[in-house]
Amino acid sequence: MTGHPIPLQIQNLRKSYGSFQAVNDLSFVVNPGEVFGLLGPNGAGKTTTISIITTLEKRTSGEVKVFGHDVTAESRQAKCKFGVVHQEVINSGFFDLEELLQFQSGYYGIRNNTKRIHELLGRLGLFEHRHKKVKQLSGGMKRRLMIAKALVHSPRLLLLDEPTAGVDLTLRENLWTFVQELRSEGIAVLLTTHYLEEAELLCDRVGILNHGKLEACGPTSKIINQFAQKKIIVETRSAGRKEIMAKTDEVLGDILVASGIDPKDLLDVHVEEGRLEDAFRKLISAPMEAKP
Amino acid sequence: MTGFLTLLEKEIRRFMKVLVQTVVTPFISSFLYLLVFGVSLGASVPGKDGVSYLAFLIPGLVMMALMNNAFQNSSSSIVSSKFSGDIEDLRVVPLSENEIIWAFALGGLVRGFIVGFVTFMVGQVFHYLQVGTWLGVVHPFALLYFVVAGGLLFGLLGIFVAFWAGSFEHLSAFSSFVLLPLTYLGGVFLSIDHLSPFWQGVSKLNPLLYLINGLRYGMLGVSDVGLVESMTISFVGLVVFYLMARVSLRRGSFQRW
Ligand SMILES: Nc1ncnc2c1ncn2[C@@H]1O[C@H](COP(=O)(O)OP(=O)(O)OP(=O)(O)O)[C@@H](O)[C@H]1O
Ligand SMILES: [Mg+2]
Repeated sequence: MTGHPIPLQIQNLRKSYGSFQAVNDLSFVVNPGEVFGLLGPNGAGKTTTISIITTLEKRTSGEVKVFGHDVTAESRQAKCKFGVVHQEVINSGFFDLEELLQFQSGYYGIRNNTKRIHELLGRLGLFEHRHKKVKQLSGGMKRRLMIAKALVHSPRLLLLDEPTAGVDLTLRENLWTFVQELRSEGIAVLLTTHYLEEAELLCDRVGILNHGKLEACGPTSKIINQFAQKKIIVETRSAGRKEIMAKTDEVLGDILVASGIDPKDLLDVHVEEGRLEDAFRKLISAPMEAKP
Repeated sequence: MTGFLTLLEKEIRRFMKVLVQTVVTPFISSFLYLLVFGVSLGASVPGKDGVSYLAFLIPGLVMMALMNNAFQNSSSSIVSSKFSGDIEDLRVVPLSENEIIWAFALGGLVRGFIVGFVTFMVGQVFHYLQVGTWLGVVHPFALLYFVVAGGLLFGLLGIFVAFWAGSFEHLSAFSSFVLLPLTYLGGVFLSIDHLSPFWQGVSKLNPLLYLINGLRYGMLGVSDVGLVESMTISFVGLVVFYLMARVSLRRGSFQRW
């Protein structure tokens, strides 16, 4: 049997806590070698969705498959295929980093995983700290440890819940490079973040979640195109400064012509590209259509 | 299988890291129990069936240490994991419910066995100093049966309680309001022969009575209850506690505190 091609498939997923709908009819897929960004404000349902994939939470209804394996019916197969970095940092006190990673490998049936562990510790800049206890690490180091822990068994799907929250700029950039390396190795990544420039840089596709509902989902550039506008600031001899909003894929010449600007009259043009942030803001603040 | 062995190894190495706390504390407490009850008060307390009170007390203390430590090991491991958050890992990694349950239960048995053994050795020294002879083991297989049953049973109970517990207070409340009374009233210090028929009847409802007397039978050949009865009730207890642990694992919370 060949491996199922789709790393993550979520269909009509619902999760309610009592009468509260935390996740409401959510559907999306993450493809191999793709970084998918699940974005949304606090309480949108991102962590809940990840918790359902990892079986920490039970879904109310819908389908969640990891490489074709249902996460509850075939949990063992599914669990072997993903690694997860939780939003909250874990603080176990008894063992050092290397011991923790050896235990983690053992849970996946891998004994003496030293080579892989050292490689990961090296890539994440933790090698010289390998004999420290978790509580002796800084917050950023803990986060990197959690990433190493999620990768000991070389999963083909990585779930990252806000991996860069509270992480300094240098480290954040290192993590971006790391995620890009993983992607080039063909690993699928599901990422949540509140940093939209980060999502714009990293994610091939994004889904924007609000109140548990997917407001938009698609290639990052397409979402920007569709929901954000670029701003063209023109300075003319006759009218001074003027701002023109336009669709991101419109050609500058056409825009100027449409606005009736004579090239001879033009002093300066400055273009501010449409940002994911604008698209996000628009999608999130859009008045919700009549909901019961 | 590797997953199960890894978790078991982790459980054992975890208490090995706090070996002093694991072994010295019960060493001191069994020393004090033996000194106060076995030697000082023991002179005026009758034993049972020609066995001295000191000898009667030793298997009781061994079983008490075994049960307490088996319970402590699994429950404190789970509860501290809930506190630090790595309990979630247990749910996320591909370990089956049975692997998790038996790794914790066996971890409890191993720690219970070590502490029970230390208690036994302390008891031996007291016995030698007091009576002039070493205490033998009359029925080694029965002894083994009740050691294994007691350790596993309380390891399983620890899992059950820890998964339901919502805080450290819940856990210590269970220890002091349920476990401690049942242990003290389960025939560790006294034979139920000395109780009135009514209280004898009540005592027989206490499942710990059968484990404690079973171990005493293994060591000394005396018991307040029948061997088959003890073995059967211990076995049924094991099955029941296994099922309880299983339910708690499925229904209980893996959320961190
Ligand atoms: N155990 C629970 N019981 C009740 N409600 C819950 C529970 N867990 C989460 N919720 C609710 O579900 C909603 C979604 O929470 P979730 O943690 O998934 O948000 P999130 O998108 O990850 O937010 P953040 O960006 O703050 O991490 C929130 O309104 C939250 O209050
Ligand atoms: Mg979250």
